[in-house]
Amino acid sequence: MKKTIIPIGPYHPLQEEPEFFMLTVEGETVVDVDVQLGYNHRGIEKLSELKTFDQATFVIERICGICSTSHPFAYTQAVEDIGGVEVPMRAKYIRTIIAEGERIHSHMLWLGLAGHFLGYNTVYMWVWKLREEILDVMEIISGNRNNYAMFKPGGVRRDINPEDIPLVMKKIDKIVPTLKMLYKAVRDDPVIHARTKKIGILTKEESINFSALGPTSRASGVARDVRKDTEYGAYLEMDWDMIVTHNGDVFDKVVVRILEMLESIKIIKYCLLHLPDGEIDVKIKNIPPGEGIGTHEAPRGETFHYVRSDGSNSPVRHKVRAPTFMNLPTYKATIKGEKIADASIILAAIDPCYCCTERMSIRNTKGERLFDGKELIRLSQAKTQKVKQKLGVKESSLEKLVQGKL
Amino acid sequence: MKLPKIRELIEAIKALIVGPYTTKFPKKPHTPYKSFRGQPLFNEEYCVGCLACEQVCPAEAIDHKDIKTGKTAKRIIYHYTDTCIFCGECEAACIAEHKGIKLSNEWDLAFFDRSKAFETIERELVLCEICGSIIAAKKHILWIVEKIGELSFSNPTLYQTRLKELGLIDDNLVASIKDNARDDRIKILCAHCRRQTTLTTKNSRTGG
Repeated sequence: MKKTIIPIGPYHPLQEEPEFFMLTVEGETVVDVDVQLGYNHRGIEKLSELKTFDQATFVIERICGICSTSHPFAYTQAVEDIGGVEVPMRAKYIRTIIAEGERIHSHMLWLGLAGHFLGYNTVYMWVWKLREEILDVMEIISGNRNNYAMFKPGGVRRDINPEDIPLVMKKIDKIVPTLKMLYKAVRDDPVIHARTKKIGILTKEESINFSALGPTSRASGVARDVRKDTEYGAYLEMDWDMIVTHNGDVFDKVVVRILEMLESIKIIKYCLLHLPDGEIDVKIKNIPPGEGIGTHEAPRGETFHYVRSDGSNSPVRHKVRAPTFMNLPTYKATIKGEKIADASIILAAIDPCYCCTERMSIRNTKGERLFDGKELIRLSQAKTQKVKQKLGVKESSLEKLVQGKL
Repeated sequence: MKLPKIRELIEAIKALIVGPYTTKFPKKPHTPYKSFRGQPLFNEEYCVGCLACEQVCPAEAIDHKDIKTGKTAKRIIYHYTDTCIFCGECEAACIAEHKGIKLSNEWDLAFFDRSKAFETIERELVLCEICGSIIAAKKHILWIVEKIGELSFSNPTLYQTRLKELGLIDDNLVASIKDNARDDRIKILCAHCRRQTTLTTKNSRTGG
């Protein structure tokens, strides 16, 4: 049988990050998925080996625009692991606040995009509007909406100004009611149920076999979270819940992320109210020869850093493993046997990055019909419209008005 | 089915009343939060030209050029706005009470010509009296003198620069002192020449 492949990507002016997906389809059913990675190799590990331990945090921060705290968090812990450095409590609290703020804005970004893929552009607009509040909070605390430059081996670079805390609290409190509303909306909406329930199921066994991480595994019933499992940051100081659901479908992944945001808000509020006094960093005189590892529960799962030192002032080896690397293979379990119209939301469900769904071509087993990412999103949105019609949900004139305004 | 819709309608109406989060930027100027990390700016009053900022800059956005013209020399320190990542390391490492270079709230940094996207500060340099090589910025030496107080009188480079700055040293007067023993030591010297004068008497008029 003759097969034709027309690749779309890995580079295209409309696309944001280079990754390549190829779905093989029979009729409307996806029979196989192929992922190609490595187009975005920037030599970050080598770059970090050319910088000093202190400067490397800024390179590490730029591995990912959204996880700009997760990587430095893990890296600084790896460096502190080599030197046996004890970080002051205040620094731990500030680190926790920044990391949880990042989790909220990352999950919101994902939630908005998931809404967009499903054809709920109102959700997309509302959630991204809400996300601005948390980005403002990050700007108040660290001085920038992204790339916070807060982490350094031995502590943090900037202190939280006590005068800013009331404003931060006010902005965080603003998020809660809208998030709760969104959670209820997701829970009650029959269209979202029809589109996401029992779609892209990752069972507990598969999740363990594929070593899935973060919300992807927690939605499948694997209760694993670095924040609970290891002692770092200020996470063991307070009471919060690990969100675990058991179905492993797209719906559960949405629910896990929304509830995690509420937990993160709880953590941030506790940290701000109980911020201990004291130093924000310790001076590290030298880093002895040796190896260290650092882990952090990033929004997408556990990020892992390994640093080796030879006693000089820069690392001799630095290894980074990001969570998406472990989550991508789960596509092999989740997408097979699903319809093409559901492909974009399943691919997006592990929160790989916006890029992922926009970088693919689809061929059938005869090698004919081809779609690109945009076409897939259109298909997905069209399916939601069909489901709406089937369920008899009509768009009210007010909804149309709101969509027009936004 | 009805109730949830009312809940979302309330949010929709709220969104209608509150309006978009985006500001009317070009019409209304944007004022960032106080803690915003913007363009780092040199401070003419405080900067001592020590280059600590250049050492720590992770993006290598700070650079310098030493220009020698005859018996005087100056150091130009460049800060390139286009490569700067606004991390604030320069401010944290600044020896002049973190005031020599300071992050401002300036965010409007667009340039038409990338090669013009930099700012500079000039510092006078002190040269070695024997070989003419660069010792340090004058302000840097004065800063050290101020820090170590009377201890600076153990080092002729330090106290002579200081006395010259105060106008207490007359070159003719120095010449008469220099006729006495070890005149080679009582000079503004670079590290290499100081070692030479300590170990040998090559440059001394009386020794030899």
